[in-house]
Amino acid sequence: MIVSFYVNDRLVQLETPPERRLLDLLREDLHLTGVKEGCGEGECGACTVLLNGEPIHACLTLAIQLEGCHITTIEGLSAPGELDILQNAFAEELAIQCGFCTTGMILSAKALLLKQPDPDETMIREALSGNICRCSGYVQIVKAVKRAARELREAAV
Amino acid sequence: MKTVGVTRPIHDAAGKASGNTKYAADVMLPNMAHVCLVHSAIPHGYVRAVHAETALAVPGVLGVFHCFNTTQRKYNRYRSRFSQELPLEERAFADYVRFVGDRVAAVAAVSREAAERAARLVEVEYEELPYAVGFDDALEGKNCLQGQSPTIKEFAAEFGTPPEGGCVDVESFTQFPPIHHATMEPHACVADYDPYQDQLVIYSPNQSVHGIRVVLADYLQMPYHKVRVVKATMGGSFGAKQEWFTEPVAALIAKQLCRPVKLVYSRAEAMTCAVVRGAVRASVHGKYAPNGTLRSLDVDLVLDAGAYVGNACDYIASIYGKLFRCYRMEHVRYRARVISSNTPVSGAYRGWSAPEAALFTERNLDAAAAKLGMDRIDLRLKNTLMPEDIDRKSSLPVEDIRIHEALLRGRELFFWDRLCEEDAVFNASNNRYRRGIGVACGGHGNTYYPRHGDFGEGRAFLNEDGTVQLVLTVHDHGCGTVTAMKMIAAEVLDMPDGDIYLGEGDTAVTPVDFGCFASRTTFVLGRTIHDSALALRDTILDRASELFDLPRQDLYVENAAVRSKSEPGVCISYREVAQTTMLKRRRNITAAAQFANVTNPGVTGAHFTHVEVDTWTGFTRVLDYLAVHDIGQPINPGMCIAQIQGAAQMGCGAALREELVVGKDGRCTASLSKYHLFLAPDLPNIRVELLTEGRSQEGPFGAKSIGEVSFVPSAPAVCSAVNDALGSELGVLPFTPDRILTYLAKEKEESL
Ligand code: FES
Ligand code: FES
Repeated sequence: MIVSFYVNDRLVQLETPPERRLLDLLREDLHLTGVKEGCGEGECGACTVLLNGEPIHACLTLAIQLEGCHITTIEGLSAPGELDILQNAFAEELAIQCGFCTTGMILSAKALLLKQPDPDETMIREALSGNICRCSGYVQIVKAVKRAARELREAAV
Repeated sequence: MKTVGVTRPIHDAAGKASGNTKYAADVMLPNMAHVCLVHSAIPHGYVRAVHAETALAVPGVLGVFHCFNTTQRKYNRYRSRFSQELPLEERAFADYVRFVGDRVAAVAAVSREAAERAARLVEVEYEELPYAVGFDDALEGKNCLQGQSPTIKEFAAEFGTPPEGGCVDVESFTQFPPIHHATMEPHACVADYDPYQDQLVIYSPNQSVHGIRVVLADYLQMPYHKVRVVKATMGGSFGAKQEWFTEPVAALIAKQLCRPVKLVYSRAEAMTCAVVRGAVRASVHGKYAPNGTLRSLDVDLVLDAGAYVGNACDYIASIYGKLFRCYRMEHVRYRARVISSNTPVSGAYRGWSAPEAALFTERNLDAAAAKLGMDRIDLRLKNTLMPEDIDRKSSLPVEDIRIHEALLRGRELFFWDRLCEEDAVFNASNNRYRRGIGVACGGHGNTYYPRHGDFGEGRAFLNEDGTVQLVLTVHDHGCGTVTAMKMIAAEVLDMPDGDIYLGEGDTAVTPVDFGCFASRTTFVLGRTIHDSALALRDTILDRASELFDLPRQDLYVENAAVRSKSEPGVCISYREVAQTTMLKRRRNITAAAQFANVTNPGVTGAHFTHVEVDTWTGFTRVLDYLAVHDIGQPINPGMCIAQIQGAAQMGCGAALREELVVGKDGRCTASLSKYHLFLAPDLPNIRVELLTEGRSQEGPFGAKSIGEVSFVPSAPAVCSAVNDALGSELGVLPFTPDRILTYLAKEKEESL
């Protein structure tokens, strides 16, 4: 089949078997390797991307589901060489160690902040409950999301 | 100090935040083949035939590799240095399969999909053999490995003399199940082979590029300089990426196909076919003086190595050594056995034998405290090593160890005494939830020494613009090794660490090294780079003195420039020294240093936990967690804290949830949906306190290790709290809801 959808606001058209995973379309066909495969079964969150602003597992989403959709990957958050407020907060708050969970974690946090500009700690932890980080105890990750929320609110006024 | 001790993000944080950083699985090379493995479907037997015709007919398939068309040579996955004498155990593709998941064949194809599809079409004929899963089967003498008894190795050691009378006897039993490292990045590697130069290149996330080189070169019968191993960005290791199973397979196929190949494990493969932390059970008999002094520890231990022996024989000996890293031991009698079984292969795991030692020691100490009616912290305070004590096993000084202080500080910061009272009130006032607090200590090392000789080599170059390049064989696990090394050099050279470059291990570029394990990175390699930077600084001062005609003894460095004590006006930038040396002397400014340590100071931590057990569901919640670590000078304190919090998370998992279950059919848990890790909502705000006064003598600026020691006390501390909450003596991990409910039901029955 041919599927047309938007990736980071750009229209893409791909010839693909309908059951091909979004994860493979992104990583292999579009070379967007910021999205990671940690389990391939919807358990780890490393493959999180946004579909129309909602976090989804790219490993469980198939080509056939994508027609007309808007996908945001980590590469879509900032221009090359730059970081957006949330990415920067992750880097500076030491929320990144091995980094394999990071891009998924940031996109889950992004989805939260799109809906809830002033989340409390419980909301943040809940929003990240589908993203496993094995390196940290989640403390700096929560801190980074709090900081980004604050900076985004400040930037909005 | 300007740089050391001041927190900063790791060197590639921005790249990782942007998604730009490339991991091995992200690498695409022209003409690259994708490899997909076929695993044994049976726990034990011989491969009698491999039918590859249908697989070979799949479009895009380049080859099917198995025991009948590849080398019969073997290697040892645990080997990482030339001098290790280990049995050669493993073929790239087994003809004799030892567990469900053993590698039987591999398909290489032009695309991942084609390789996967074809792999499912490979048919294997087996001759099945009887098999054994787990301790009980093996201890009953059931057949595990052909030609070997189920007991592979016995080890016994004794230190001191048994006490005579007057002691209180305390028995305990503990068991750690097999667990999964759960690195978020599954194993992956890329291999490339140039037949015209007979040059093999391996690109993988690993803890020892030279370890892989030793194994691959010997296995493939290549000279060492023809095998280049490059460390890739690592999505977590915790010991999982320090034994070699992807690299030999990828190398063999790349060589056979004369093209680059990529092998990426699935999560199921990472869980079942890679490496697990092996199951360990221990029966312990402690003898205590009535005041709580530990007089004797008698340990009988069994380790299930799984299907390949790997590190297991060294591992049981190492557990004995770790007993002496935290407490004063008067007498220890230690007997241990390695058994084999037809289950996933045991291997390294963060802490390498110390977490096992801590689990059974701490359980016995808790049981002793209960028996003697003592507070658990008070009892530990009677037994900790103190500054200037000697590690009785290695005979090395533990130097300025601070475990006693860690206990005292933790008691205060955790409000231990107040929590004791509050929990008592809470538990008396409801009949569903039970709260308890826990404590545990743990110790580790900073180097192989004295078990093996240890050393490092570093080099430093001054560039024409005054920036510095370092060469050192490091393997960043993600915890910030590269940044820490740069900070050490920056401190010595008094320049911004942003003006320093350091790559990671690459056998074509960086000097031979034993690898980043044994918690040696900061202590041994950090000191090595410290000394290299010092040598560079000396060379800079020598050249400045000669070229600018200044008395050498007056010169010092400040802000990346040479200054003179006698002439305050002198300020020659590093850039000027470098350029003048090149133009006038026709020389580069470079330096090298080697460092061989002769100490291994005590490095310890005490963890404190507060839990709440729901006696209706058996579910345990961690309410509070504090880790106090005796770390010496932290190089990058924020990253030390982040690592410790990660260790606490792992310990909560090991204590309460994580277990790879091998069924009667030999099949092991193969999905994260059945292997439960701690997630953000499950954990409290883990607190960390660093004790920095207990400096090491040889570490850079007095630093000690942190990566492994931080995991050692974590699971025991959580177990201690659960047992406190329930008044139980549970020792078989993990304390899952099932186990807790079974215990409560039994307790109820007995009380009737
Ligand atoms: S890779 Fe999709 S959730 Fe793990
Ligand atoms: S940083 Fe390694 S898994 Fe999160």
